Amino acid sequence: MYRLWYYLRETILSIWRNLSLTLAAILTVAVSLALVGASMMIREGAERATAQFQEGVEFIVFMNPDADADQDAAIRHVLDSSPAIEGYTYIDKAAAYDEFETLFSDKPELVESVTPDVMPPSYRIVPSDRSAPNVSELADQFSAQPGVREVATATEAIRQIDDFSQRVSQALLIAAVVLVAVSALLILNTVFTAIGARRQEIEVMKLVGASNWFIRIPFMLEGTIHGLIGAAMAIPALFVVDNEVMAFFQESDAVPLFRGFAVPDGFVWDTSIWLLILGGAVGMIGSAIAVTRYLDV
Amino acid sequence: MIRLEGVSKIFKGDVTALREVSVEIQRGEFVFLVGPSGSGKSTFLRLLNREEVADTGRLMVAGKDIGGMRSWKVPYLRREIGYVFQDYKLLSRKTVYENVAFGLEVIGRPRSVIRKQVPFILELVGLTPKAERFPEELSGGEQQRVSIARAFVNRPLILLADEPTGNLDPSTSVGIMRLLDRINRSGTTVVMATHDRGIVDTMRRRVIELDRGVVVRDESRGVYE
Repeated sequence: MYRLWYYLRETILSIWRNLSLTLAAILTVAVSLALVGASMMIREGAERATAQFQEGVEFIVFMNPDADADQDAAIRHVLDSSPAIEGYTYIDKAAAYDEFETLFSDKPELVESVTPDVMPPSYRIVPSDRSAPNVSELADQFSAQPGVREVATATEAIRQIDDFSQRVSQALLIAAVVLVAVSALLILNTVFTAIGARRQEIEVMKLVGASNWFIRIPFMLEGTIHGLIGAAMAIPALFVVDNEVMAFFQESDAVPLFRGFAVPDGFVWDTSIWLLILGGAVGMIGSAIAVTRYLDV
Repeated sequence: MIRLEGVSKIFKGDVTALREVSVEIQRGEFVFLVGPSGSGKSTFLRLLNREEVADTGRLMVAGKDIGGMRSWKVPYLRREIGYVFQDYKLLSRKTVYENVAFGLEVIGRPRSVIRKQVPFILELVGLTPKAERFPEELSGGEQQRVSIARAFVNRPLILLADEPTGNLDPSTSVGIMRLLDRINRSGTTVVMATHDRGIVDTMRRRVIELDRGVVVRDESRGVYE
């Protein structure tokens, strides 16, 4: 108990003595983690907006829920034998219902209004030739088949969302990785300065036989606290991204598909926890490097 | 208590600090380490504290073979060894009391022990009235007493002193030596490196003389020469 108090007192004292560098470190952590979080959210939002059209799927053949086995077999035969089809995934009623449930988990009244039985089974199809004219020709062929309810193609809009969000989230992520590295270096430096300020004390501590961890822990705690405070400061930014930026796209009519550009309810909190873990880890790693390199114990 | 068998220490650039030194020091002995500057006195002490590691030979301190000692065990060795320097190494932001208490705090001694031990040791070194002063308000002799108090407060088996009177005038030095003698009489082994001829000749204790890293003399009731 007394020891805990000692660590805390030493850590707080050290942060106080070194305030300007500490603030720089914390703010850098905050900015970089806010970018990491924004990137994660945009990626998630785009994935949900275009969920059905991932991994090269260019069009989806929805069957009638009451299509009979022969009609289904006919479609499957075409898919299996046609050289124009590279591959496909079959989504049965239960899987379609699961997906629906996940996509609309924040709208339980919608989920309650359907049952697996009314969900249309579907084929998600990856064509060999992904050019737009070819895709629409294939789509026409399939929609003429008996038992087919509807064929949905990946429109230009979907590709653009995918492309746009991928670029944005990648750019953010690259900036974030650089900044995370910068913040680790800043924390390392702050802790290094803190070690320098207490060189005399550390010398005496070694002399009288303080254990290595006893000497190291206050410094590592200091770095970890920088990381955690920085992460905590990044969390409000996530809510701003969710409530302002993503909501703006959802409400705009320019691109209807952007309406699905949202993250599930708990996602912001989940991301926040990840940021705290990441921030703590960055701080701990930065200070651990400082401690092992400059604290020759 | 301390045993060196054929211990050598060579620094970078082929400077030989100690060469094939074999010495045995019993529990409770008082030993002067003499010799010109650069003869290896400080290295001798630093090896005992494992601030330096011997290149060859065997080194036993307080019943432990410290040659291959793991680094995490070194602090526990140092708790058995008090160390006093010529320049005191006191913390200027802490009072006399806090400086001494620091020696116990950082090895995790409970507060109740600290509250009992520190006043007791301050009484022993004669600094009770100055407990709340800061080091810069004290004379050199008083600062050295604080440093000895800090080294001794954990009741180590061994006290190493590197030129403890090096910065002090003769009459103050006598006071410091009385204190070290008292500590020695309480059963603590004392090894003291010194240049102070007067002290060595008056005390008439065991004298080990080093010259260029070699033991050239080891007398049980020696003089400085």
